[in-house]
Amino acid sequence: MIIGSNLAKVYGKGSVEVRALDGVDIRIRKGEFVGITGASGSGKSTLLHLLGLLDRPTTGSLVIDGVEVATLSERERTLFRLNRLGYVFQDYALVPELTAEENIYLPSKVRGMTAKECTRACRDILGLVGLRDRVSFLPGELSGGEQQRVAIARALINNPAIILADEPCANLDTRNSTIILDLIRKLNRELSQTVVMVSHEEWHRNYFDRVIVMQDGKIVPEGEIPGKP
Amino acid sequence: MLEEEQVAFFLASRLITRGNKGTILLTIMIIAMVFVNLIFLPSIIAGIVVLFNQQNIDYSYGNLVIEPREDELLITRVTELQQKINRIPGVVASTPRYSGAATIVYKGKSTTPLLVAINPDDEKQVLKIHTSIASGDYLNDGDTGQILIGTTLAGNKDQKVDRTPTLGGVEVGKTVEVTFRNGVTRQYRIKGIIASGQFSVDSSAFIPRKELESVLGTTDAANQILVKTGTTGTEDAMRITLMQYGVKERIWTWQDKSADFLKSIVGSFDIINVISTIVSLVIAVVVIFIVLFINTVYRRKQIGILQAIGIDRSIIIKSYIFQALFIFASGTLAGCALLFVLLQYLTASPLVFPGGPVAPVLEPVLLLRAIASLFIVSLIAGFLPSYLTTREDILSAIRG
Repeated sequence: MIIGSNLAKVYGKGSVEVRALDGVDIRIRKGEFVGITGASGSGKSTLLHLLGLLDRPTTGSLVIDGVEVATLSERERTLFRLNRLGYVFQDYALVPELTAEENIYLPSKVRGMTAKECTRACRDILGLVGLRDRVSFLPGELSGGEQQRVAIARALINNPAIILADEPCANLDTRNSTIILDLIRKLNRELSQTVVMVSHEEWHRNYFDRVIVMQDGKIVPEGEIPGKP
Repeated sequence: MLEEEQVAFFLASRLITRGNKGTILLTIMIIAMVFVNLIFLPSIIAGIVVLFNQQNIDYSYGNLVIEPREDELLITRVTELQQKINRIPGVVASTPRYSGAATIVYKGKSTTPLLVAINPDDEKQVLKIHTSIASGDYLNDGDTGQILIGTTLAGNKDQKVDRTPTLGGVEVGKTVEVTFRNGVTRQYRIKGIIASGQFSVDSSAFIPRKELESVLGTTDAANQILVKTGTTGTEDAMRITLMQYGVKERIWTWQDKSADFLKSIVGSFDIINVISTIVSLVIAVVVIFIVLFINTVYRRKQIGILQAIGIDRSIIIKSYIFQALFIFASGTLAGCALLFVLLQYLTASPLVFPGGPVAPVLEPVLLLRAIASLFIVSLIAGFLPSYLTTREDILSAIRG
């Protein structure tokens, strides 16, 4: 369960102050697949960064699974990210010197798994995303879609309660986007993981349980969403 | 805790083996050069000091120098004392000397060098002057009317070349006139010319002791007895042994006699050494720091991503320290190999100094100091850039 109350993020000061988020209240239930959409600069990525503990809100409260995360120390936030969140970046963000398996291996090893357990878990998860035959490939040897699937596998390796995806299909063609979205939807259904995904593609809406539309740093109330009755 | 190190090591090993090999090789080479630079000059200086020390032992003092008791000008009953000294365990041989100023004239050119009266056969047991005869022959105990002079004292025909008063290029077989301090003047034929490389020897003249005693009217007297011991480095212990065996005269070690000279030389070299070491270390710090800093900045986004997926900054910092230590270890090994080749070459073809050939001397402490310095520098250069980058806001790092 994610509960954000009166979340604000302000950049700069005085006359150059930019309110990227302005008093956002958000509530996401466990197991929901939520899409965040909105125009460029509407604050959707900023909101995802706050949910992913990559940034701190200027004001407001953010409770994830009963933990007030806005006030955690840097080390506690790192541990929270490792154990409870899985983050999928727009540009895959894989370590180019590590193979597909090693990219996934890293967070599981940090979590304290033995090398044997890590290897087994990595192979299983790569099988789940359909890349069992690509374990020893370096990111540069994989296609964009394959790289994103490795990134999803990395986000899943520690079995997090919440997956946060920042426009994961932005650099992919429609065919690969469909593969990725199908995969995320499948994981959401089978593993009951909460998924929050930023996207500006209209056709992605079909995958979401619910859509949050952002505008000028605020969530547009459901009744006011354009094109929605 | 060990798990963190394992992950850091895993990350570092992959970044090294799959990273840009050219950059890593270049960095290792630079470290190797810095390592050689840290050791090479000090080892040459150590070689020079060893040469000076050996020259002092071989040409000027032996291992120990016995001088008259306090308030006495001469050692008397020298033969008896010499026999006593030679019987002491650890003593190889001894040689009495009687030194004093004398005026030597050749074809109107006059100079007043140190004239040393020696027992030529005894000298051969203690010093190596007899091995440095440039022309003519060494003296014999029974020689009369013959003199040995140093090459500096002999001088050159073109006296502009000479930096000290000389005899203007006198040669073996020529006759010089020697006026002793009691006013007696005698003619001597030059039997040989010494070229030892030791200024004090090459600017002196040597005659047999019997010759001087006949001039001065003294018997069995000397103002120095030089002693050669079985091993070098045990002079202090040997001095005590001599005293225990009843030698009442003042006893000096060769280090005592050459202390001022050596101190000034070593002091000057130390200054050069310190400057060279500091410059080398600064270069090492700057180079390793720049390379690792560029490497870290280049991977700034990657560091941000690693933090974003829950990798603690301490693991990231440690992985960069491991990388720096790998570069340090490889650089040091390459430096050792380079140094070994260089030292082999210079041992086979030593540098020629005025005192003789100088081969570099590699002291273990020097090696350890260079390794320790580079180790510390590498730790700092590995830690600082990664520490600064991981302190940065994660989003800023990810955005590059």
